[in-house]
Amino acid sequence: MTWLLGVWLAGVIVAGLLWAPAAAGFQGDSFRIVFFHVPQAWVAVLAFCVNLVASIRYLRTRSALDDSRAGAAARLGLLFALLATITGSIFAKLEWGMFWNWDPRETSILVLLLVYAAYFALRQAVADEERRASLAAAYAVFAFVTMPFLVFVVPRVYASLHPDLVEAAEGVVRFRMDPRLRLVLLASLAGFTGLFVWLYSLEVRLARVLAARRREES
Amino acid sequence: MTSSMFWLAVVMVVIWAGIFAYCLGLGRRLRRLEEDR
Repeated sequence: MTWLLGVWLAGVIVAGLLWAPAAAGFQGDSFRIVFFHVPQAWVAVLAFCVNLVASIRYLRTRSALDDSRAGAAARLGLLFALLATITGSIFAKLEWGMFWNWDPRETSILVLLLVYAAYFALRQAVADEERRASLAAAYAVFAFVTMPFLVFVVPRVYASLHPDLVEAAEGVVRFRMDPRLRLVLLASLAGFTGLFVWLYSLEVRLARVLAARRREES
Repeated sequence: MTSSMFWLAVVMVVIWAGIFAYCLGLGRRLRRLEEDR
């Protein structure tokens, strides 16, 4: 599975750099980072949604497995949000000459990173496993409430340099992209989603094995 | 190849290699722990 995803995403890189045509309105080839940047942001949002579902399940069931699921999803969400921020700042450097411009989109993703970094600070601060899981699950619900505002609302309310890939006119949502660019982007979205599923299952299995080992040792 | 294209290729390959090294390392650690049990 890992090798299949590796080959798939290597294909996306080659297609994104060599096969996809140039997009109008961008400096040089800076737009090509969209094939990595957008899927990373998508996986971060997906991971935070999984974190919310697992956290709500934990609050209902008090199952350690749901806590492991929530922790694994938040870890991956933070990782991919960080990668999206890094690729976004590289785009900013190529397009606008600076890595960081305090654009509404950059500021809102930084706030989101801090919100989820605090989730891990909270997990590290509480020693008792059940108390830690309960507090983290409750915090995750509040953290998720901020996510749609920070990712989807704030950058659209305030004037932003960030380009928008979709346009909504007369109730119809369209991709503003060449069909070949769109194909590479969709292939990348599929590859990154598969990568998230694979990493998430590995992280959850690892957490279960480590928990069982801790139980055996105590 | 333009300069921006070169740097994009470097960034994409580094992220790709990093994620897969992490994935393979995680899988290997998990297999070892499961075998120990």
